[in-house]
Amino acid sequence: MNVVVCVKQIPDPAAPQALDPQTHNLVREGKLILDDSDSYGVEMALQLAEQAGGGEVTIVSMAPNGETSGLRTALAMGAAKAILISDEALRGSDALSTAKVLAKAIERVSPDLVLAATESTDGYTGTTPVQVAELLGLPSITFAKKVSIAGGKVTVERQTEAGYDEVECPLPAVVTVTAGVVEPRYPSFKGIMAAKSKPVDQLTVADLGLEGQVGSAGARQAITDVADADTRQSGEIVVDEGDAHERVVQFLEQLKLV
Amino acid sequence: MRFAFEDRQVEFRDQLRSFTEKECTAAEVRAAWDSELGWSPDRWAAMAELGLLGLTVPEDLGGFGFGFLDLVLLLEEAGRSGLPEPLLETVGLAVPLLLDLPGPEADGLRAEVLPRVAIGESVLTVGLSSMVAVPAAAGADLLLLEDAGELHAVAPAETRLIPRPSIDGARRPARVDWDPTPDTLLASAAESAPVLARLADRAAVGTGALLLGVADRLIASAAAYATDRHQFGVPIGSFQAVKHQLADALVRLEFARPVVYRAAWSLDSAEPAVSRHASMAKAYAAEAALGAARTALQVHGAIGYTWEHDLQLWMKKAWALSTAWGDAADHRARVLEALLAEAAGPG
Repeated sequence: MNVVVCVKQIPDPAAPQALDPQTHNLVREGKLILDDSDSYGVEMALQLAEQAGGGEVTIVSMAPNGETSGLRTALAMGAAKAILISDEALRGSDALSTAKVLAKAIERVSPDLVLAATESTDGYTGTTPVQVAELLGLPSITFAKKVSIAGGKVTVERQTEAGYDEVECPLPAVVTVTAGVVEPRYPSFKGIMAAKSKPVDQLTVADLGLEGQVGSAGARQAITDVADADTRQSGEIVVDEGDAHERVVQFLEQLKLV
Repeated sequence: MRFAFEDRQVEFRDQLRSFTEKECTAAEVRAAWDSELGWSPDRWAAMAELGLLGLTVPEDLGGFGFGFLDLVLLLEEAGRSGLPEPLLETVGLAVPLLLDLPGPEADGLRAEVLPRVAIGESVLTVGLSSMVAVPAAAGADLLLLEDAGELHAVAPAETRLIPRPSIDGARRPARVDWDPTPDTLLASAAESAPVLARLADRAAVGTGALLLGVADRLIASAAAYATDRHQFGVPIGSFQAVKHQLADALVRLEFARPVVYRAAWSLDSAEPAVSRHASMAKAYAAEAALGAARTALQVHGAIGYTWEHDLQLWMKKAWALSTAWGDAADHRARVLEALLAEAAGPG
């Protein structure tokens, strides 16, 4: 079984983040790392390929400046190869542009299953995976907390607010997995060394035949303004003058808690 | 000439860091103090999975066959995270010692033991007759012990362990009572002498590397505390008397680092002055760590003295490791001896 995992390489969340004052886009110039939420998809894919008794896991990613360090992490975990789409023309891409690029790259592999995280940890749009599914004409299931494959179908426990729904659909399909779906393995030293010789295909917009349709040229979405979130109001401080318990009860009554 | 680590060596270090950030938190280090062995067999198994335990085991025996230049950054990281497992004893000391042993007799033992080390099924430690206690003796599956200049391989069943106190609660040293027999003998005194000299050098560099990490952790936590703790309306780190102490501690650490790294290089390249380099490494690293411990305690103030604060875990590691395998004064004396011998020339 061949599985494609869409991953995003993001600025290290531990480092301070910045927005470009002109474009309001996230500054992504430094070293990028594998989005932690994507490591669950990579682990899931590796487990499903192992359970199926064969097949390859391919990583697909779009990133600026030919960045591969996050891909190497996924390859060190055990993925067989990676496809990276990096092109100056992709600057300013919105979620749909990203989805077009990923879909075109995924078509080259014709996988049995496409996995992605529910959303990235830097952009949080959470729309790209379903757009990819739509562009590929594939069914999609989101928020998987358990995934199993049998008889040409994928069965998913889909996380809901109340619990989970069990849903299934025929393969190939796109499935987004939640954080915690599996415990991602640590890339071993052997894996890190092996990753250096695994193939990473670097593609451009022209290679995918998407000139003029992606990047800021193809963006249908623009950030017009950025504003600070409201600061949290400080709470009311009650000084106990013998009536504090009454004030607390009053407060709880206001909230209709008592 | 290239004065930097290979990408691979740095990547291994980074990988161990992301491993310890999850698997060896301060709470885990603290838990090790209360555990039976002083360390966690589960984490040892995970370290084997990572490939850490096969680092010095030759490739044909299931390892990587790497040397101290690969190990030094990993030991530093082990010190930084307070990793309680006997990484230095097994991977840094016992495995290279077994590889140094001459003669085909040792081949059998190597073939039997080393593949098991790489997969985490055999914990080793080493001890000298001059030592008050052997580190990590309790959990070891095989003890490589020196007696009257000879090296012996002793199974735990043939020993009686008398636990000795250690300021570092995860360290668990023990006096080992055992009887040398022809069956346990690995190498004669004449064969053992150069092997034991190499062991002493590796132990100095290895503890030096651990101490670099310990010092780094102590300085980082003191700096974080000095940024966070306010007095007179400003962070205490803005006061010169505080920040200069921290800067001095950092300078001592940064001066010690290249000395330890150089000694690791000397170990791998059979450099003639390796013993001098190893002793310099231990002396510099011990003083950097002890200085960092003193400064960190001073900066933390009263809370740094409490059992509940994590500072003590690393402070006590600095104290215990700085005297292990010879303290700074011992190693300065070794440096002096080596310099005088070099000045006198051969013969």
